[in-house]
This record gives sequence, structure tokens and C-alpha cells, in this order.
Amino acid sequence: MTDLKVNVTNLKKNYGSNHVLKGIDFKVANNEVVVLIGPSGSGKSTLLRCLNKLEEPTSGSIVIDGNDISDPKTNIDKARENIGMVFQHFNLFNNLSVGENIMLAPVELGKMTKEEAQAKAKELLATVGLSDKFDAMPNSLSGGQKQRVAIARALAMNPDVMLFDEPTSALDPEMVGDVLEVMKDLAKEGMTMVVVTHEMGFAKEVADRVVFMADGHVVEVGKPQDIFENPQHERTKSFLEKVINI
Amino acid sequence: MKKFIAILSAVCGLFILGFFGQNNHVQAAEKTYTIDTDVTFPPFVYANTQNKYVGIDIELLKAIAKEEGFKVNIRPVGFNAAVQSVTAGQADGMIAGMSITEERKQKFDFSDPYYSAGIVMAVKEGSGIKSLSELKGKRVAVKTGTAGADYANSIKDKYGFEVVTFDDSDSVYNDVINGNSAACFEDSAVMSYAIKNGLGLKVVTKPTNTTEVGFAVKKGENQELLKMFNEGLAKLKANGQYEKIIKKYTSGTATSETKAKDTSSSSSSEDRTVMGILKENKSAFISGILETLKLTVVGIFCATIFGVLIGLLGVLPNKFCRGLSTTIIYIFRGLPLIVLALFIYNGVPTLIGTKVPAFLAGVITLMLNEGAYTAAFVKGGIESVDKGQMEAARSLGMPFGKSMRRVILPQGIKLMIPSFINQFIITLKDTSILSVIGLLELTQTGKIIIARNLEGFRVWAIVAVIYLVIITGLTLLSKWIERRINN
Repeated sequence: MTDLKVNVTNLKKNYGSNHVLKGIDFKVANNEVVVLIGPSGSGKSTLLRCLNKLEEPTSGSIVIDGNDISDPKTNIDKARENIGMVFQHFNLFNNLSVGENIMLAPVELGKMTKEEAQAKAKELLATVGLSDKFDAMPNSLSGGQKQRVAIARALAMNPDVMLFDEPTSALDPEMVGDVLEVMKDLAKEGMTMVVVTHEMGFAKEVADRVVFMADGHVVEVGKPQDIFENPQHERTKSFLEKVINI
Repeated sequence: MKKFIAILSAVCGLFILGFFGQNNHVQAAEKTYTIDTDVTFPPFVYANTQNKYVGIDIELLKAIAKEEGFKVNIRPVGFNAAVQSVTAGQADGMIAGMSITEERKQKFDFSDPYYSAGIVMAVKEGSGIKSLSELKGKRVAVKTGTAGADYANSIKDKYGFEVVTFDDSDSVYNDVINGNSAACFEDSAVMSYAIKNGLGLKVVTKPTNTTEVGFAVKKGENQELLKMFNEGLAKLKANGQYEKIIKKYTSGTATSETKAKDTSSSSSSEDRTVMGILKENKSAFISGILETLKLTVVGIFCATIFGVLIGLLGVLPNKFCRGLSTTIIYIFRGLPLIVLALFIYNGVPTLIGTKVPAFLAGVITLMLNEGAYTAAFVKGGIESVDKGQMEAARSLGMPFGKSMRRVILPQGIKLMIPSFINQFIITLKDTSILSVIGLLELTQTGKIIIARNLEGFRVWAIVAVIYLVIITGLTLLSKWIERRINN
């Protein structure tokens, strides 16, 4: 139990009559990297967004780090401090410089002094290879640079879990590698990660477990080599045939 | 107790009036009554070249007040606004060449008549129309709420003409001079005064439907004021002062005699060039501009605060707050400004039983109406900031308020700046509508000057240029602020 970072039981999410998640059970252990794959509309992004309550679950329980975040009494802002999130479209704060983007939350939430946050921001920018961009404005960066800043921004809060929502989907192909490198380094350091992605190479190489979702259900879970080389379900097979052959 | 409250509220009202710089100085010794009038109605009431209110009504009222020992605070609100102010208890009485009719007696108590007026028909000089029967199929201009208007409406079917109604005499005359209307019906005294002062119309009928003109208070209220007026009027009639006042304004010979000491009774000596009009009415224009600026600045200030608050309310997660914001925007953006102004100034006092000073009513009107527009674009500006910005901020653990303040608002405000500048300019222009509640701002000042000199084209041209100059200044100021914010 103490090893479980994320424990989702019977999670359902409806948008009106549209059932996007139809009873998901989903667990992530400490230091584990789990990659969610599946066709568009399968509910993987919705599941990820339920984990920090950007989407309000319709029913079911979500326990992260022993905190039941599906309980309305739980302070969701406190819980989110330990759950970093990286978005498909980066969502850097356009009104703030790169440095300020990273420093904002730790300083505003009283986690660090301005000086500490600045030191932390510089250190993080160095690890994502953007030391020279501290004073740059987001709109002067390329997509890949923006996404690496976004990762640094999420890491500045020292989260226990990192959620990645298709982090490379909006990038030009030549930018994808840089971002994946940063994510691989993070995985090596033992960060608990949940990644929604179409990068099958990354899933094969980095994931401890791969979860295949379709139509609001978890269809198949397993080690990458099992899922990719020996899928059990027809649905998984047909999906993988399509993506791998491209 | 009721009376005490009434007096207390009257005093409060006067205090607020004084606070907002209206020109009434209350003296404790004598009771001051607020009397509303229409200063575009010579020879009964009008503003002279010194921008002082003169005319039969004003001189009689002042003489009576002196005789009976009370003070008057005369407010130039216009005829319709005066009627509503008195019935709403905003004013104690009104004097504006008001005919005593059965219909009006339902709402007002009238004094003994102080003048007898008849209605005449006037046409453009050189027009061939000589009688009512020649009006068939033509348009006739009248001033709203006057006995002339009632008369025209009562005979329009018989003679087959169409009645068009204007708010002030100048528009009525101009409509006839421009040829849009074939004739106008107006009180004989008013008509002959205007023609004497160079108006290009001629009277073609004998005075008819003679009605008596009286001072009015709200039915059942202010009876002691009414009594004092009647007593004073009787005294003036007895000592000959009444005769003198009436003659001064209605008889041609009397006018030329008094010309030397009182330039007010004739405007034929006025300089009719644009420069001349500007020079002669300098103080009136300046105080009009100041009132417009005061309204604009206070209006913009209140509307911006109100609008930003309501706009922010509209983006809160709470459903009730969002609904409230939407409703407020819906109501106050949906109401025409003029309706809102009249409602607040004339309607609300009936409801709450206290006077609402015109300036305050004007500011509240601007705050609600312009504020609703401001709220709409504030809400829109915030909503147009990419949703991902809020999600990213929230995902870091920042609460809604902090995320709003540090991430969303700074981006939203940049999007809103052009709308703010636009709204400031609209607010400035909309202050002109507040002339309906008698605020002596630039537009009302123009109306009053025209009522005396009948130089519609030149005065409105002057007023238009003044507005453009102020708007240019406001635009430059806003652009400067915009640059400051963007840097």
C-alpha cells in the first residue's frame, strides 16, 4: 500500500449522456513509469486529467499518495502541489518570462523565497538545457523549448508524481527528441510518471508498464515487450498494427 | 414624524446637491423651495446672455418669494422632467408657462392663474397657408406636453393633418422653417416673443382655446407654498408690479423701453457670428463643459469599478455569481440610457420617498449602463484568455484567485484596453443624454442658448466641435495610458 502512488478504483466520467470513462481501475507504484496508449477518444487524457482533478470525476475514487482527492473535503490545491502536470500545448504563462514562469508557484504558495526559487529555476533550466533562456518571453521560444520550460516549471514544486498529457504531440518532429530526452532523464532519476503519448518508441524504452485503453475501458496492461510483441486482445492488436506500421 | 423625515430628507438632498456643486446656497433663516422650470420657453422662462434665468415666470416667482419671505432654488430641467420631478416629489413645484387643464389637475394643485394664453398657428414667412383647412395632408409641429400640442391633436382628424412632436421650441420652429412642417401651434405670447426676436415665422390665426397659466405643486402637497404664491400674486397685482412684469415681456413698446437696462428681453442685439455666440455665452459653455467633464470622469470611474466587479463575478466558478453577473449585464445593457436615467431620477424617488439629486442620478445611470457594457467586455476579455493558462496555474496548486490575479487578469487586461478606451468615449457622448434629467451639461447648455437666440445651426456646430475636442483629448490620454501599460 505504501508503495502505491496512484490508486484509481472504478472511475467513471460522463459528459451528459456521453460516457468517457466506464469504470477504470488503475494503479501506479512508487518510482514507476506508466504509459497510457490507445486510439483518440479512448479516454486516456480524461483519465490523466482526473488524476489532478482538472476533470471532476462522476464517480469512483482516486487516491494519490494516500490522499483521497475524489473526496470533496480534500484540499485540491494542496494535493496538486505534489502532482506536476505537463500539457500538450505547453500552457506557459504568456505574461511572464521563462524564469518567472518557473518561480511563480513556489513563491506565490510560500514554498520558497524569491532567491531560492530563482536558484531552483536556474538549476532546472540547466537540466533541461535552456540556461540562456531565463529572461526570455515564452513567445520567443520554439515548441520544444517551451515544453522543456513547462517541465521545469512543474518540477519546481518538487512533485512526487508527474503527469504528461501528450507532451510531444504539438511539436515539430525535430523537437520531439529533446523533450523525450528530458523525460527519460527524469524517469532514470526515479520520478513516478504517468504519460499519455503516441510515441511508441518512448513507451518501449522507458515504460515499466503500458496501459492500453479503448472506449473508456482499460483493455490490457503489461510490460512494454508483452504489449508490443504479444498483445492478447484483438483491439490492442489492431491498434498497434496501425500505429507501428506508420 | 413624517414631516420631520420629509424635511430631513430635503435637507440631505440639498446637502448632496450642494456637495455636487449645484448652485444653491441654503440659508437657514428662510425656507428654500426647489422649483423646476423649462428655460427654453421665452417669454415665460429663458436664459439671458449672462446665462441668468429671466422671463415672466421667473420675475413673478422671485417677486412673490421676496414678498412672502421664502427662497427658491430654480432648476432648469425642461418641461417633461419638471412634470415628473414634481409628481415624484423631487421638486416642490414648477413654473413654466403651464396651462391649467383638467387632466393636469388630476396630478397637480394649481395657483390662481397669473397669465391668460391663447394658441395661435404660425407658418413660415412667405407661406401661403392662412387657415386650418389648408393643412390637409400636411405636417404640423408642436412641443411635447404643451397646450398647443393638445389643441393640435384635438383638431388633427377634423382638418386631416399629421402632428409631429418635439422636446423644445427651437426644434419646432426649425421644422417649420426647414419646410418639414407646414405650421406650428404655440402659445401666442411665446410665438410673438420669438417672432419679435427675428424668427422667420408669422402668426396667421387669432388666439384660440384661451387657457390660464398657473404655478403647480403636487396634488395635496406643499399647500403652504401654494397659499403663499396666491397671496403674493394678489399683492403684486394690487401694487402694480404684476402689470410691469407682464408688460416688460409681452408688449413691444415696453420691451424697447426696458432694453437699455435689461438686455435680456431682446436678443436682436446679440452678435450672431460663431465668435460672437462663443463670446456672449462663454461662461455658459465653460460651465457646460465642466459639468460634462465632471459627469464623464465620475461616470467612467464608477462604471469601470462596477463593470470590472460584475465582469469578474461572471467568471467565478460559482454558478450563482455567474448568473447574477449575466442578469445584471442583461438588464442594464438592455435598457436605453434615457429610460434608465428617467427611471432613476423620477421613478425611484416615488418608490423610496427621497429625492435623488440629478447629478447623483446621472452618475448612477452611467455606472449601471456603461458598467454593464464594461462588465461584458471584461468577462469576454478574461474568457478569451486561453483556458490552458488557468489549467496550468491550477495544476501547480495555485488557488483560483491567485491564478486569476497573477496569470489570467494581466493577459485579459491587455485584450480589454481597446474596449476600455472605446467605452470611455461612449460614456462621454452618453452624458449628453442626461440633459433629459435637467443636468446642465454641454448639450443642455446648447439647448438653452438656442432657446434664446434661435441660432440652431451655429450653436449645435459649436457644441459638436467642443465634443470632438474633448473626445480627442480623451483618446490621446487613453492611448498614452495604453502605451504605459503595454511597456
